[in-house]
Parts: sequence; C-alpha cells; structure tokens
Amino acid sequence: MAKQNLLEKVMNEPQPLPRKVPDYMRKKGGIWYWTGAILMITFLYESLTGLILLFYYQPAHPYSSTGTILAMPYGTVLLTTHLYAAYIMIAFLYIHLLRNLFVGAYKKPRQMQWLTGILLLLVTIGVVYFGYSMSGDVLSADATDVGRGIAAGAPLIGSYLRSIFFGSGTSLSLFMRLEGWHIVLAGVILAMFALHFYLAEYNTIMPSPKHAEFKVPAVDNDDPSYKPWYPYNLLYMGQVSFFTLAMIFIIPSVLAILPNVPVLFSPFPQVSVSSPLASSVPAYPPWILLFIYKELDFGISSIIGPFWASLIFIGLPVGYLLFIPYLDRNDSLKLSRRKAVLYTGILGLFYYIGLSVWGAMEPGVPVSNLVGFLFFAVPMLVVIPVSLYMIKKVEAAKSNLGNNLWKLYSILPVIGFLAILVGITSYMFLDGLSYYDLAALIFVLVLLAISSLYAYGWIYGIKENTKNIKMSERGHLVFGGIYGFLAIVIFTMISDIPPTKVEYQALYGIGIGLLFVLGGAFTKLYRSYAYHEG
Amino acid sequence: MRLKSTERAPDEQKRNFLKIMGTLIIGVGMVGTLRSVVQYIIPPSTQAETSFPVLTLVLANGNPIHTSDLIVNNSATVTFDYPLQGEPNFLLRLGDSGNTDVKIPPSKVSIPSTGGSYQSPGGVGPYGSVVAASAICEHLGCVPPEIKFFPPSSSTTPGKIHCSCHGSTYDPYSGFSVVTGPTRIPLPSLVLSYDSTQDTYAATMMVGPTLYGHTSDLSGGNAITTKGTVVSTT
Repeated sequence: MAKQNLLEKVMNEPQPLPRKVPDYMRKKGGIWYWTGAILMITFLYESLTGLILLFYYQPAHPYSSTGTILAMPYGTVLLTTHLYAAYIMIAFLYIHLLRNLFVGAYKKPRQMQWLTGILLLLVTIGVVYFGYSMSGDVLSADATDVGRGIAAGAPLIGSYLRSIFFGSGTSLSLFMRLEGWHIVLAGVILAMFALHFYLAEYNTIMPSPKHAEFKVPAVDNDDPSYKPWYPYNLLYMGQVSFFTLAMIFIIPSVLAILPNVPVLFSPFPQVSVSSPLASSVPAYPPWILLFIYKELDFGISSIIGPFWASLIFIGLPVGYLLFIPYLDRNDSLKLSRRKAVLYTGILGLFYYIGLSVWGAMEPGVPVSNLVGFLFFAVPMLVVIPVSLYMIKKVEAAKSNLGNNLWKLYSILPVIGFLAILVGITSYMFLDGLSYYDLAALIFVLVLLAISSLYAYGWIYGIKENTKNIKMSERGHLVFGGIYGFLAIVIFTMISDIPPTKVEYQALYGIGIGLLFVLGGAFTKLYRSYAYHEG
Repeated sequence: MRLKSTERAPDEQKRNFLKIMGTLIIGVGMVGTLRSVVQYIIPPSTQAETSFPVLTLVLANGNPIHTSDLIVNNSATVTFDYPLQGEPNFLLRLGDSGNTDVKIPPSKVSIPSTGGSYQSPGGVGPYGSVVAASAICEHLGCVPPEIKFFPPSSSTTPGKIHCSCHGSTYDPYSGFSVVTGPTRIPLPSLVLSYDSTQDTYAATMMVGPTLYGHTSDLSGGNAITTKGTVVSTT
C-alpha cells in the first residue's frame, strides 16, 4: 500500500466512528485513560461559568465590575470556581501531557494528535493569562505590563504585537482586548479540541504499552465483546464528571474560608492598583506562569532581553515537545529504548517546579549566571542515573515499589491539612456557636472522613486484597440509601444558608461539592450493583 | 440453591429504589446549583432617584421655556425627558378647533385594566391649557414619532393622541384617558408647576399608572443630571 498522508487516510478510509469504549478503560486504574475527559469537563465548566460572568463584567470598569460580580448572590462561588477550574484544567493538562509522554502516545499513528495537544497547551495558557488579567487588580496590572514588554521586544513586529494584544494604550482599549482575546482563544480551544478528539477516535484509544507488546502502532482492535456505550460508559463518564466538579467546587471554597491564604493560591482578586496596599502584594503571576517570571531574573535574560529570554524558556521545551514524534522514531514503546525522552521529561518537570517554587520564594531577585548554570546542570547529573536505575527496576516487573510507605507520606499532608481545618472550624464553632459554623464543621468532618477512608484503602490496598469479595446486595442498598439521605441533608443545609457573606457562600460551594462527591460515589455504587463494574 | 449476589439478576424493586436515590442525588445537586445561577443573574434593581426630581423645562440653549414658546395645537411633537433620561413626555398647549386656549380641568381618569382610577392634574399656565404626559404608549411602549398628537380639525373631530403601532388612542383633554384600545391603561400624567412671576414651567412628579416597562417610575434608568430638562421639537 502506498504511503498516505493523514488527510488521505481520514477522507478515503472512513473509520467506524464513534467507537465503542474498551472495557479495560473502566476497570481499576483505567482513570489514566480519562485524563483528557477530565480536561473536557473542566473546559465545559469554564465555558459555562465564563458566559455567566459576562452578564456583569464591564471592560470600562474592570476592577469595580469584578467587585460587582463578587457582591452578587453566589458571585464569589462563581468567580472563585471559574479561577480554580482553570487551575485544575492546567494541572490536568500537565498530567495528561506527562502521562502520554511517558507511555509513548506521541508515536505512530498519533503524531498529529500529539501536535494538536501541544498547541492546545499553549492556547490554554494564553487563555488563562488573558483571563486572570481581566480583573484589573494589582496582579493584573503587573501581568499586562510584563506582557506588553515581552510583546514589544519582538524584532520588527514588536509594536504591532503589543497593540494587537494589549490595545492602543488606554485602559478601556486594554480591557476590551483582554476580554476579546480571552473569549476568542477559548473558541480556538473548542475548535482545536474538536480536532484533537476526532483524531483520538480515529486513531483509537492507545492500549497499555504492555498490551501492545511495546510495539508501535499501539492501536485498539475493536473487540466485538466490548460493551455498548450506553449505559456502561455514560455512567462512567458521569462518575468522572461528578468527581471533577466536586474538586472544582471544594478546593476554592475551602481556600475562601481559610485565613491568610498566600497570594498565589488566593481564590480572590487582590487590591486595586490605586490602593495604598498595592505595594504590599508581591508582583506574582499565577503559579502556572511563575517559571517565566523567574526566568527573567537570570543574568542571561537581562542581556538578551525579555522577549528572547521568554522565547528560549518557552520555545525550547515547546519546540522539543512539538518535534518529539519526529525525533523519537523507533517502534518501541519500552522506556529503556526511550531513555532520552524519560530524562528530558523528568528534568523538564523538575525545572518547571524548581523555577516556579524559586519564583514564589524569591520573586524578582536577580540570579547570577553561575547559580543559573548550576540550577540546570546539577539535576541533570542526578536525574539521569536515578532514572536509569528506576527503568531497570520497573521493567524487570519485579518492583511494586516495595512497601507502601511512600503512599502514606504523600497522603499525610492532605490529611493534616483537613485536620487543621477541623480544628479551625470547631474553634469557630465553640467561639461563635453559630449555625453556620456548625455547618462548616460538619462539612469539613465529612470531607475528612471521606478522604481518610479513601487514603486508608489506598495505602493498605484493600481493593487488591479483597478482590473477590464484592459488596453484598444489601450493602449496595444500604449505602445507596445513606447517600440519598446525606444528599437531602446537605441540600437542606445549603438551601438555608443565605448568600450574604463570603464565608456563607463558601459553605454553599463546599456543600455543592459534597453533593457532587455523593453523585460520583453513587454512580460508582450503581455501576457495581447493576452492571458489576468498577 | 442460593446464588452469589454477582450471579443473580438484580431485583427490579431494589433496583428501582437505587434509581430513585440516584435521581434524587443528581436532582438536588442540579436544583442546588441552578438556584444560585438564577439568583446570580437577577440584576440588582437600580434606583436612580429616591424621589421625583423637580426639573425646569428649558430650551436647548438652557433658557427656561415661556408660554410664548409654546404654540397652541402644535402639530409638531414637543417632548422632554422625565423623570429619567430617555423617557419622553408630551408637552401640549391645548386649544379648540379655532386654536384658542382651552382650560383643562382636573378629571377623574379610570384605568380599564385594573378598574381603579386617579385624579389627573389639569392644565397649568396663564390659560390653564398646558398639560404633559408620558409619551411612551402604555400598550407596548412605542414612542414618538409612532405616538403623536393630532390637533382638533373641526368642532366634531376633537384632538387626540394616537399611536400608529397598534392603534391605541388617548384623550389629552381629559387626563390622557383611554379612548380606544388595544391599550387598557391611560398615559401617566405629569404634574407641571407654573411660576406666574417668571412665566416658567417645571416638571414635579408623575401621577397615574407606572411608566411602561418599569417596576417603578424612579428605577430602571439613569437620572437626569443637567439642571433642567430640555424641551425639543420635531
């Protein structure tokens, strides 16, 4: 058969779309096949809340109209979840990217899918940048000033780039553009996502490398035994959606109640530029852009200018990721045959986190060229041998990472955090004795109980040890009844809380989040009861 | 023989119980979420003024309007904004078919849609012939030039305000009451005050039904910030 390009293949050999979803995607551990679906859910949530926010946002009065949004009933829930859903979307973008990098999903036949994915990452970061600049607070002013400088530094077209993205210089022109680009680029995400998703269907889901015997092309041969999409996959999608939405509601609402949340993770806009307190706010970008911020502190950046520095620090990794399908062409999916990809992946992650943490700790502190060089060189010397060792261990398939202590260590901070929350809220309860503090205490206790149970099961591997013992029929019914009862209790409580204070609205947000947790847990229960899945 | 639970077909009733629980959980989740969205998108009411402003009627050059500026039975449309910006009112100097001023007495105006009634303010000025009322048709909100004053052409065809959108007709000689439908609400009258020493006019308040499209006369718009309200002729 003559070599065909992708377009010829797509147009001349139509595939049976949409496909059935392989059953292994709904088994334990199958969640790794759904990182893209989680992204889609966050994107849908962002689109819906973004459109609702348009009802009150005015580019002519960016800061005061953001205040209007916050002052509306449930306005803080809407705005803080809009921000945090974006954070969660970015976090899952990186997880999705790294997962697919390490399993080798960029290889034949999915090169195009990989390329659109990398472009989607860039556009999404752009949308986040324009979005958080819309609030008109002091961080927004810093961000647009820096953005103007970087855009203007481009050779020849610098001043055009600056005015295309940031307007003629007046405040109104700036914020109309920020709003315009925020929405236009979100539309671009939608269009590119449609292509990305179509290609995913066309190329089939990538089975685990082991399943594909570590050889490309790793495609899923439509097995007639796969169960139909409805109801099996619909329910699973519902479960994933509910848990994602629960995360979107609970995280920012908890942060909204906590005192002294650092600027980087604060779900609220900061003070306005004209406020006397503006100088006390560190000039941070959001955490997703901290690495670019720190990179401008490096000695070399001041020599070559901010445009070229950003181009190098963003362009090098992005260029590498774009070309990786063409650099790593061999037909093996084994990590030992793709060592360079593994090293660069881990190193890239380290540099990203390292630069971000550094930027948060020492914002704007210049870095000498020697220190900068060591920052990049030392991890390289450490990562490569450690990765080599790990590859050997993992591929020998003997290693299950020894005992499970690392899981305990990784879950401890979360449990500790929730325990502190219990402390704060119970103190508030004892101190104030208000009904709403009691509601807060109950919500946090429920959160703590759920996460402790989950952590316990995760660490001690209850599921593995009890693989053959399913929950009894009566157990399903009892739990279903309890979930229903809890849902009514939570619904009654959140219906009774007036949206008059930020704290009350945050309680509402946590309550809605818990309702989604119940929705997800129930869907899981129902799948297990009616279809013996999961 | 008792089968293991995984091998048995689920009992229909128990399954229905779980289905109801699931619908309940998802239902309350949706209601809880949508409720806040609805509450959020209800715009806060904008009370532009706390009480009716008193605004002198002025010409475009800022000078107060005098009786001599008003033409009896003017077939051109003379309007001014009151109580908020962009809310036109007719300013009429009414006369008989011979263009002689007619004194307009206060009259009881009935509101067909509610069955209630109110007292219209009557004419002001040296001849008691100057009246004003909202120029926003109470039927479906048409404004000039669709709604227009037609002066009396003979003693048998009295002057009327007619809206060409849907044919509503009002009688300015008796408090802008309803003559023919489809409207079932008279035009809200404007209370004018006349300063006989200066020969000037001022708008002081509205009486009668609420302005078309408003929950109250003083909300849903922007206050007039200039000193007087400008009378324009088209």
